[in-house]
Amino acid sequence: MFMRKLFSLNKFRILVLWTAAVLCAGFSWLFAGSLQSENGKIMASGEEKPGVLAIINVKIVPVVGPEINSGTIIVEKDRIKAVGSNLELPAGAKVIDGQGLTAYPGMIDGFSSLGLVEISGVAATVDNRETGRINPQVKAIEALKYDSMHIPIARSNGIVAAVVASSGGLISGQSTLVKLDGWTNREMVIKESLAMVVELPGIRGARRGFMGTGAGEAAVTTERALAELRELFNRSRMYEKRRLAAARNLLLPPPDFDETSHYLLPVVKGELPVIFSVHADKDIVQVIKFVQEEKVKAIFYQVEQGFKVAEEISRAGIPCIIGSLYDLPPVWEDGYDSLYINPGILNKAGVKIAFSSSSASAAKDLPYHAAKAVAFGLDRNEALKAVTIYPAEIFGVDKILGSLEPGKLANIVLADGDLLELGTRIHRVFIEGREVDLSNRYTELLDKFRKREQKR
Amino acid sequence: MKKRERKLIFLEGWKALAGLTLILAAISLPGVELAASPEVKPTYALVNCRIFPVSGPAIEKGTIVVRDGLIEAIGPAGKIKIPEDAEVIEASGLTAYPGLISAHTNLFLEVKQQEQPQTPAEFLSALSQPSEPQQFPDFLVLKELKPKKQTIESWHKTGFTTVVVAPSRGIFQGQSVILNLNGEQLNQMVIRQPWALHINFTTERGIYPSSLMGTVAFIRQKFYDTLHYDLHRKKYSASPLFLKRPEYDPFLEALIPFVVEKKPVVFQCNNQEDIKRALRLIEEFKLNGILAGCNEAWRVVEHLNRAKVPLLVTVDFRPPSVNIYNQQGEAVRKKAEAEIYPANPAVLLKENIHFALTGFGLSESSFLKNIQAAIRAGLPAEAAMKALTADSARILGLEKQLGTLEPGKIANLILTRGDLFAEKTRVVKVIVDGILFNYEEKSQ
Amino acid sequence: MRKNFLKTFLIPILSLIFLAPVNSLLAAGNLLIKNAIVMPVTAPPIYGADVLIINGIIKQIGPNLTPPPGTRVINASGKYLIPGIIDTHTHLGLSGTNEGTDAITPEVDMADVINPDDPAIFTALTGGVTMVHTMHGSANVIGGRNVVLKLKWGQPSEKMVVKEAWPTLKFALGENVKQSNRTLLPGRPQRYPATRMGANAIIRRELLRAREYMAAWERYEKLKNSKNPPRGLLPPKKDLRLETLADLLRGKLYARCHAYVATEMVEFLRLAREFGFKIAAFEHAWEAYKITDELLEAGVGISVFIDSWAYKMEAAEGIAYNAAYCTQRGILVSINSDSSERVRRLFNEAGKAVKYGLTPDEALKMITINAAKQLGVDHLVGSIEVGKQADLALFENHPMSAYTRCEMTIIEGDVYFDRQQILKEREEAAARKGGY
Repeated sequence: MFMRKLFSLNKFRILVLWTAAVLCAGFSWLFAGSLQSENGKIMASGEEKPGVLAIINVKIVPVVGPEINSGTIIVEKDRIKAVGSNLELPAGAKVIDGQGLTAYPGMIDGFSSLGLVEISGVAATVDNRETGRINPQVKAIEALKYDSMHIPIARSNGIVAAVVASSGGLISGQSTLVKLDGWTNREMVIKESLAMVVELPGIRGARRGFMGTGAGEAAVTTERALAELRELFNRSRMYEKRRLAAARNLLLPPPDFDETSHYLLPVVKGELPVIFSVHADKDIVQVIKFVQEEKVKAIFYQVEQGFKVAEEISRAGIPCIIGSLYDLPPVWEDGYDSLYINPGILNKAGVKIAFSSSSASAAKDLPYHAAKAVAFGLDRNEALKAVTIYPAEIFGVDKILGSLEPGKLANIVLADGDLLELGTRIHRVFIEGREVDLSNRYTELLDKFRKREQKR
Repeated sequence: MKKRERKLIFLEGWKALAGLTLILAAISLPGVELAASPEVKPTYALVNCRIFPVSGPAIEKGTIVVRDGLIEAIGPAGKIKIPEDAEVIEASGLTAYPGLISAHTNLFLEVKQQEQPQTPAEFLSALSQPSEPQQFPDFLVLKELKPKKQTIESWHKTGFTTVVVAPSRGIFQGQSVILNLNGEQLNQMVIRQPWALHINFTTERGIYPSSLMGTVAFIRQKFYDTLHYDLHRKKYSASPLFLKRPEYDPFLEALIPFVVEKKPVVFQCNNQEDIKRALRLIEEFKLNGILAGCNEAWRVVEHLNRAKVPLLVTVDFRPPSVNIYNQQGEAVRKKAEAEIYPANPAVLLKENIHFALTGFGLSESSFLKNIQAAIRAGLPAEAAMKALTADSARILGLEKQLGTLEPGKIANLILTRGDLFAEKTRVVKVIVDGILFNYEEKSQ
Repeated sequence: MRKNFLKTFLIPILSLIFLAPVNSLLAAGNLLIKNAIVMPVTAPPIYGADVLIINGIIKQIGPNLTPPPGTRVINASGKYLIPGIIDTHTHLGLSGTNEGTDAITPEVDMADVINPDDPAIFTALTGGVTMVHTMHGSANVIGGRNVVLKLKWGQPSEKMVVKEAWPTLKFALGENVKQSNRTLLPGRPQRYPATRMGANAIIRRELLRAREYMAAWERYEKLKNSKNPPRGLLPPKKDLRLETLADLLRGKLYARCHAYVATEMVEFLRLAREFGFKIAAFEHAWEAYKITDELLEAGVGISVFIDSWAYKMEAAEGIAYNAAYCTQRGILVSINSDSSERVRRLFNEAGKAVKYGLTPDEALKMITINAAKQLGVDHLVGSIEVGKQADLALFENHPMSAYTRCEMTIIEGDVYFDRQQILKEREEAAARKGGY
């Protein structure tokens, strides 16, 4: 009885709110029609000022802390204000009934090429791979296509943030962490310079995957690659030493400008982490040693044979971003399921893991990689953490991202089922308190051609 | 070399026709014995040796008389009269065997390796130039051979006196020759020329056929073309009235003896599926087929039993590249090479499949090692011996001339200290076509 | 000594490689699967049923069945038993993909190059796949004949071939045959066709030639059998290329056409009408959702990816709704992998269709009975029904769930993949090594 009353009250409130919203929208359209986007989506970004929002009657999976079977999330501006089961609704809050839905924190893709690659086979639309081998100076953020068709698709699968990284060469460039919403690339930034990406050689004797695109046989050894890195790091240190000395003492000539040394400086100073893509067990052990000797803040990526040296990685305290599980075991001897069991074994050994799509066009599949690992031994809750709070922790943004906790950015996904499940549909997504548009290339084209059917 | 081969194909009609007539003449006289050199050869009497004639039981103490390149007499000591003109060779402590036959080699064949591009520009131009076709059914391997004394010596020391030299490149590789390793004079070495057409399931680079299925289709089409060409030719020669003259085609001309007249066709079979592919072609075109390579014959014994096609089985035990053992890492591959593939000849023997053994793809030293491995894996030494002598001779159609020590046959024999195939055994004397080669270690 | 050697090396190796035959020596096509959640696909699920297999054929489905003595019994309590997954578009188990030198090569036959040792066969089995349509590539307008294989890992190639399947011929259109994503090497001319117009022109040209070829043979037969055959009568030359195309025109072969954009599908349908040949399915068909009416009218199905898209221009409008929407419109849809990796998670790919509008049952059909229909083998496989061949897969959870895992794959009553067995062997091997 009471519930019903509340419900109808809410309904009334919603009506009032919507009327106001529609009026406002109409107003702004009248006075500032040019603000409207070309395809008529005013919800997608920017203008709407987030107010106070209450999502009620919703199952809450905060990821950190216990699940709430039916509760309320209160959002104020861009932050989560409160999460609980018996919360009082603040006056004037926009109320969203989450009946039948589950609220999750938005997912974070640990490594992607979102916004850098549009159509992989068309060079004009590919921006993730610079020529040459040593490219610490290139920054993913500076090429990011904010209106990539892949971003709304990833978003409509519950992904709200992603590491965007370049690849290729030995030093591929500087990756960035962005939210999947914004009217320009800069509006999307969460952490502009996230980590330097270093690609170490693949596994010796590895078979080539589909169409020869797999890791394949390494052209150089990890020893050689690490030696080269060490040399570059030393050069950068020397460069800095001379520059500082010259700044202090006019008599000392400063060194000529050296781009590579300049951009590697934050790395050798231990300020900017390095994402090392590592593969073979023996190589991983070498890289651990290298990282410790060079005092570099390291994050491992791909880590296909990590399960063989999980204890070593755990002891070194290096977190791992799991590469795409849409791949074959690098060598037969690892067993057919080696990529699938790898995350579970790493996690059990105490390694902090995060999943990645390692893709742009398949970025939306991030949750499925996590689910696959669950099928092969990873704990279900840990899998969920590995697409939310763990990547947030790995990238040092767990104060604002990765869980539904008061004080964090209101990145909330309302799903009609398990977040990692294939058939689950995402009904609403909020990024920093604003509801984002879930229409995308898929839905637009479907709608367009459905009209043909409906005309008959 | 390439240019020369191309020339062969594009010879003006009459020249090629003349050449062809010669070839046909040679073919129509099987086993033609080329005139021996005029110098007078000694008559030899090998006495007091142990003899393994292969054709019958061993003779513990026997005598072999060799005259004018042939075995004149053979038998237990005392039963054979030593001719008065004979040079007597005291062979006590030695064992005589028929000379071994390697029914599949690329001996003396100088194949120029395709030059590897050195610079990116060369690489690009190599790629942008479609490779030249490597299909020459009319290629006669005999024309490319350069016998070398050292090679002959090293083959003698392994026990070989007769070899088939097969061409080595392309799909329709060309025609092989059978040689006796009696010296360096090619014409004197020839036993049969040409012997067989050799076909390999390989591909071209950048031109048709560039895939294995393309190669199979290509071979079938050429066989069909040959049948049609032959029919057309025969009809035309029977009556040219109201019939368009067949256009001369050297490719198809070269195939007629093998496709129509059923001279032997040897298919190189590098894995079990190659064997099946070859058997399908042999059946479809009713060829006189022989399979070479076949180190995976053990996997297809059912097919081989049905087809009754003889095999030239190599004792190269490396698993084929497409084989599963080659895809599971180095440890599994090595194990398969050491423990599974050496059983191939033993399996074939058990299944009564007609085969000769060859060392195709192997050096002389690994040949012996691998024969020993095959024996360890269950092949009786006598069977190995037979597969390298009498059985080889039979597959080559030379059972009347070679393969056993019997009076009247070609005097190809080897004398060893120790049992043949035993580890420390040495071949100390070799007689080929009655010519004696001494390999006794001087120091001993 | 030798016996020992056999025991320590040969037998483990042989059993590793030819696991299936060794395993099934006992059963040889006889099997009882107890208490599974049976998903027949053509009927509603049965919770807790037994499936009895005799000589590779499903004999009985029901509660508490008793097997003949000596039958292997598999306890499948709580597990999902589904028909073996069928992948309608792969290139696995072959020693070759493209005869890409000529624009048309219908004379080649993939059945000539089956490689039973391809590890991808095992890979596919680990994902519950029991049958694949393994095809010529898309490098040219008319590729070659394809072949349907059962993935009897460890068996000889001829035992894998499914002779009852429709014989099919690969066609390809669009960017691959135009070679538009290929860097031209200096000095090498672009191959004809370089446009979609050219591709169609070539097909028409070759089919016209095939008609002439058939006519030439007909004329020859007539003259040969006439009262006074003309002097100098010669049969036409047997041309394997045209023989294949003649078979297509005679209706003995079905076309499987790789096509992405709506226009090329519409035009290929017209070609089929013009020449009267049959199309078994369009491959990839990324824009099928734009021409559902045309596909329905022609009765042609599609074999598609669920969402692998945007890898080239013609795949830029490939929407993940394609399979679901086309199914809802009544088109016969199967999901394919076209990959020796994706093949082992084809069930996940089908499962994604649930998000885009299908029920889990409809989604599962796309990789079982629908696929069987597109290959012309739905009377033999594709569902769990009495009398059908016992090609089955056992899953830990609902096969359309992201959390599921294939536990066992069975072909004609023989177990070809058994995860528990592999785990056991792995443990034994680790124990021999003295643990990790």
